[in-house]
Amino acid sequence: MMKRLLSAVAALLVTVTVFAQSGIKGNVVASDGEPLPGVVVTTGDGSAKTGVSTDIDGKFSINAPAGDLLEFSCIGYKPVRVEAFEGMTVVIEEDVKLLDEAVVIGYGTVKKKDLLGSVSTVRQQSLQDRKSGGVISSMQGLVSGVNITSSGQPGSYASIQIRGIGSFTGNSPLFIVDGSYGGNELGLNVEDIESIQILKDASSASIYGSRAASGVVIITTKKGNSNGLKVKFDGNTQLYWLPRYDLMDAETYKKYDDLAYTNAILQGVSGVKHLQNHYEGDTDWQDAMLRTALLQNYNVSFSGGGKESNYYASINYKDDSGALQYTGFNQIGFRINTSGRKGIFEFGENFFFTSSKTDNLNGNPWSEFIAMPPTVPLYDETHPGGYGYGNADRANTYALNPLAENEFAHGVNTQKYLYGDVYGKIDFIKNILNAKVNVSYKNYFGQTDLVRKKGNWAMGQGDDAAHIQYSTAYHNKLLVEPTLNYNQVVGRHSIGAVAGYSYDFFHEDYRSETKLDPLVVGDKYITSFNSATGNQTCTGSYIEYALMSYFGRINYSFDDRYLLQFTGRRDGTSRLPEAQRWGTFGSASLGWRISREAFFNVPWIDELKLRANFGTLGNSNIGAWDYMATINTAPRAVFGKDGKVIGKTQSNLTNLDLEWEKKTTANIGVDFAALDTRFNASLEYYYSRSTDLLLAVPILLTTGNEGGAPTVNAGSLQNTGFELEAGWHDTKGDFSYSVNANLSTTYNKILSFGYGSTVQYTSVSKSEIGKPLGIWYLYKTDGIFQDAGEVQAHVNSEGKVIQPDAMPGDIRYVDTNDDGQISSEDRQVIEGKSPWAKLYAGLNLTCAWKGIDLSVTSYGRFGQWVYNGARAAAADFSTNQNNFNDYVPWTQEVHSDIIPRPVYGDTRNSRADQDRWLENGSFFRFSDITLGYSIPDQLLRKIKFDQIRFALTAKNLITLTKYSGLDPEFSDGGIYTIGYDGCSFPNPKAVQLAVSFTF
Amino acid sequence: MGLCSCDGLDIPNENGLSTGLFWKTQDDLNAGMNAVYGMFYRQGTWTRNIHVQLNGMADDGVSYAGWTEVAEWTKFKYTDYSFWEVPKKIWAEHYTAINRANQVLDHIDDPEIKFDSEENRQLIKGQTLWLRSFYYFYLTILWDTEPLLLTTSSAGDKPSNSSEDQIFTKLEENLTEAAELLPLKWGPDDLGRPTKGSAYALLAKVYAQHHKWKEAAECLEWIIDGEGRNLYSLVANWHDNFDPRTEDNSESLYEIHFSLCNYVGFDQTDNYLDPNAQLATQLECLQSPKGEGWNNIECNRWVMEYFKREKTVDGKNDPRLYYTCWYAESDADFPEYGVQLIYNKTWDQYKYSAADNKRVFIKKYSTDVVPLYYFTDNNYRSLRLADMLLLYADALNELNNGPTAKAIECVDRVRTRVNLPKLAESRYYTDPRILTDHDAFLEHLKIERGLELAFECIRWMDLKRWGFTDKNLADLRERDADYNAFEQNKHERLPIPQIEVDNNPNLEQNLNY
Repeated sequence: MMKRLLSAVAALLVTVTVFAQSGIKGNVVASDGEPLPGVVVTTGDGSAKTGVSTDIDGKFSINAPAGDLLEFSCIGYKPVRVEAFEGMTVVIEEDVKLLDEAVVIGYGTVKKKDLLGSVSTVRQQSLQDRKSGGVISSMQGLVSGVNITSSGQPGSYASIQIRGIGSFTGNSPLFIVDGSYGGNELGLNVEDIESIQILKDASSASIYGSRAASGVVIITTKKGNSNGLKVKFDGNTQLYWLPRYDLMDAETYKKYDDLAYTNAILQGVSGVKHLQNHYEGDTDWQDAMLRTALLQNYNVSFSGGGKESNYYASINYKDDSGALQYTGFNQIGFRINTSGRKGIFEFGENFFFTSSKTDNLNGNPWSEFIAMPPTVPLYDETHPGGYGYGNADRANTYALNPLAENEFAHGVNTQKYLYGDVYGKIDFIKNILNAKVNVSYKNYFGQTDLVRKKGNWAMGQGDDAAHIQYSTAYHNKLLVEPTLNYNQVVGRHSIGAVAGYSYDFFHEDYRSETKLDPLVVGDKYITSFNSATGNQTCTGSYIEYALMSYFGRINYSFDDRYLLQFTGRRDGTSRLPEAQRWGTFGSASLGWRISREAFFNVPWIDELKLRANFGTLGNSNIGAWDYMATINTAPRAVFGKDGKVIGKTQSNLTNLDLEWEKKTTANIGVDFAALDTRFNASLEYYYSRSTDLLLAVPILLTTGNEGGAPTVNAGSLQNTGFELEAGWHDTKGDFSYSVNANLSTTYNKILSFGYGSTVQYTSVSKSEIGKPLGIWYLYKTDGIFQDAGEVQAHVNSEGKVIQPDAMPGDIRYVDTNDDGQISSEDRQVIEGKSPWAKLYAGLNLTCAWKGIDLSVTSYGRFGQWVYNGARAAAADFSTNQNNFNDYVPWTQEVHSDIIPRPVYGDTRNSRADQDRWLENGSFFRFSDITLGYSIPDQLLRKIKFDQIRFALTAKNLITLTKYSGLDPEFSDGGIYTIGYDGCSFPNPKAVQLAVSFTF
Repeated sequence: MGLCSCDGLDIPNENGLSTGLFWKTQDDLNAGMNAVYGMFYRQGTWTRNIHVQLNGMADDGVSYAGWTEVAEWTKFKYTDYSFWEVPKKIWAEHYTAINRANQVLDHIDDPEIKFDSEENRQLIKGQTLWLRSFYYFYLTILWDTEPLLLTTSSAGDKPSNSSEDQIFTKLEENLTEAAELLPLKWGPDDLGRPTKGSAYALLAKVYAQHHKWKEAAECLEWIIDGEGRNLYSLVANWHDNFDPRTEDNSESLYEIHFSLCNYVGFDQTDNYLDPNAQLATQLECLQSPKGEGWNNIECNRWVMEYFKREKTVDGKNDPRLYYTCWYAESDADFPEYGVQLIYNKTWDQYKYSAADNKRVFIKKYSTDVVPLYYFTDNNYRSLRLADMLLLYADALNELNNGPTAKAIECVDRVRTRVNLPKLAESRYYTDPRILTDHDAFLEHLKIERGLELAFECIRWMDLKRWGFTDKNLADLRERDADYNAFEQNKHERLPIPQIEVDNNPNLEQNLNY
């Protein structure tokens, strides 16, 4: 209000001169439609610049031709430039200070200063050079407490975890797009995003109830603003490529393979009588399969509006040529967001449609690059289909030729999303009481067409039939959500309340059809099912579930000093048995803005707020019918001559008494802003405890269970962690810069397990009560036996030789239980080598000088020990796999103390469950370094553009790590083997050129 | 989607029948039983891995599989006790079969269920008891101490080990009951179901492994001289036992029926939810000669050499050799059969190196389908009369501390069928003690059984029954170098999948592992 008074005074002072002019007439209003006095309206450049001010009714008149660019500026408001026309209405928006910025918290917003929960925000500026990937990967490194891992495959999505693992059944947060529930990625276009808010704690998330237990990501898409049409173009082109293993060529390979056979013959390995009669090829399988890809991404958006309505429409096209042979991806998307207001009514909708096509990769070439000997030729006329692969005599391996595997079995996946959401709102009492109904509908159709041609890609492959396969997944999702909002300020009391109901229904259908022997014309496989002639089979199933909820929230603040918030939600889910279906969850938060107290008198501190909250959320994110036992009707048997009979049985065991999983979180935080809010920081500590975890606890094979472990309310898990976000920004003349850093730690501990267990094993890890999940549990190695004397000297406490069959060059394993032999009892927890990172960090720098801007995004994880599955797979020539160029094994001449002697046909040294495969996985990565240049304003005015910018970005070019695998940032092996890099798909490196302009 | 009702949350699952509605009728139990048969067609059972494991461990077979770990598991070299492809699949899928059987047996005596006749109930019960015993028998042959589970599993079960004696005792009881319930014969559409003869045959094998010779002999007597006499006889052409064109013949006491009626065109098994999953066997692909198929298992050379030691009455080589092995000199040894083709190629066309030319591959059960496909539909003759005759001889020898006339007659029936002279007239086995002395007869029986029944997954249980004594091991080491790695009191049984021991506090790993 103060600002408006000031501008009114200014307006009175200049009024006299204003009306001396003639030309274009118009008026200026604020975003709420109120007229704005005192706005300075200017035209022209440099010395030719002239200006007027608006009067008390927000009116102005300026001597300028129609079509000229007028600039509107006013203290406390964002300047805008609009083309002049007679009778124009210009809307200018408040320039919001950091503390007054609105933060979306679910069914409403609060100002940052009133925020009680733990919320991180990503604004569109941070995303401007990250538009070619998905929504999740665009956030990478920007916020604390969030762990994002991208997978690198074209058309695939990154995964996201907020505050570690709090559940076993999907740790993916809930996505809210423009107030409606979205799926994981939705094919949403990054360019269309206005902001992303990440709600990390129970108090912020609890209004969303059961699905928010792993946090909430709220995405707000762009809306039109009210100053005539704005057109924005944004295009970027990227060259990207994938990192490669440093593998042996044929000559080096043969040397070590021969050595492995020689050792095997000497040792008397059964069946090994002579060296391999090597193929004469020298194939670089990575060269054959990998290429530099071109990724292009274009957006055009149109936005605008007026006093009563606005609109935003965009079109997006993406094309990725794929960095692996046979892969590729393209996508086209449209979006339309509009809204309108009339009196007490408001309505709006958001629509988008995306259609994409992915050429799928068949198999994991990263494991084949290692498995396939370089001696094998790429092509071999003597094989069905003409590709090279193993041969019992020449390269005795079942490795797959990755090229042939993709040539003979190629799948194309097309996906279509249609997403629409419509709302209507009535303001019963303006700015105090309103009611809103939101209805959203999502429709998805995905289809995969696979053609299996005749031809082989591995030794021992049978005579596979050619076939075509057509698989589809179709789903729709409906959400209906009426809410009531109340906000009122009475004196020093400020009260807000929300109440609502929500019903959400999901249905998905799967179908798959296969037909053998497609028609082949020349080399071409006809994909029509009608023309195929062989057997046909089909399968299909569906899932359905629903969630019904009642929810409410009350916010109260006294004198802007004491803040209070209560949230409650009652959720009913179809995924739990009737008696356990409903759960009630809530949270309470308190805040104290110390900086508003009279006694607090530190002028350079703008904000000091303490906040604490406590709350419980439910989770039922399990299979639609996990609580029901069903009969499997698939088994068949035969009697007589081909007399097929139908069998029925319960294959999958079930726990019928499932109930809600509960996650209780306590969070305390401090918000701090100082030096005219140039410095700001938030520090958080959280403690969460998940109980009755819905978990598919692995059950014993003796149960005869098939189809995955059944879900059970099993045990509890604790997570604790610190998060720090701090930023500094400043402007000195033409130079502005900012530094934002985030640090987080997360520590999990198992409190109990299901079925009364105290421990769970996988082949490489152990999870035990009181310890973090999935700690490495392996055979410990102790160097290499250098000579026969050392073999004899490796004895237990009773003097028994522990590895009597060992030969010089073999690995010395630690006899943990001192029983004089190496057996499963000797595996041990590898102390000091936890798979869990001790620290997650992100650092973002930006600076700008005149038209030039530079930004650097970097992040890292520290302290985790990871399992290098590629090294384990190479297996020291015990089979005929290739190996790395740094492989220098123990030989009679060169006594390695790290790498054992190679022996073909003997796995004693290459077992997968030894600690030799663990490596320090710490890394720090500069994911994005961008240099931008924007055309200066004077020039823009002449050509009537608002903005033109060019930017060059280097992606993932610098990674600091000691890890010898392809990429220290990999998709892990799941919660029990979190640090397991099993030849994961690496992240690409790229150089990107971007152009954007607005007019 | 009413605001006030919970109807919106009651969503039925129509992908599968709710268990609450099942196990109510004869048809349900019949279908439940069919699902137990369905477990024959799995990678850990009779479609794939059990063949390589049993034949590879025994001295007749040897594995030089390119998949090193598969080969090592047949050579008493167990690095990863939880190795998925072999031990874990065999263990897991046998228990799946057992749990399917237990579901039927838990309901079979339910008075609420109406059967068309008591006979129908008995037939279902008899077959299911027999099937469960069959799966347990092989589990015990491999592991000895696996938990004996006789009721439907619950997710939280943590059973403890059973002893071999406990398990065999239970199987004896169940098979005795099955023999009462099962018919003498089935109609042509029901071949592949166990009969009374199947029950006595399996029971005899259990008793024999249990060293209950008297009981074993009683069962075998039923088959050979009792009611079974009219049902079972040796087929004239020995190789009819392994030929897809002569299935369910008079020598067969039980065979696993395979079919290509679910032809999916590629290597696809073990999908428990797929009604189109294969119902055929991969045996041929597993044992194909080097250069074809998977070549996971082949023949130890002694089998071929032993066959050649003794000629038929007309001075020719034993015809069983021709149908058991593929080897370099086969054409020369059997000129009367002409040049034989191995998947459309002669031996020489495989162009083996000098070392490989000495290898002997398994021909038994091959069908010569060209090109080699993953699957064939050749029924697996799991229990056949020749085995029973030789087992009877073994039992009688044990019971009488020397071979009776009956024992020698049984051996002679097996020999003369392939044109070999009677044992008394053999010009190679001339030691007279063979006909009189317990030990000499037993030693000879080991050879007779080894040759007649090579690669039929029988040798390992024979070796186990005869015991891995110092003397026996010395013999084995001469024939099969794999036995150099054999440790007594350890390698008589496999290690239990480690993941089972780790996650079950009540289950102990086998001795010395």
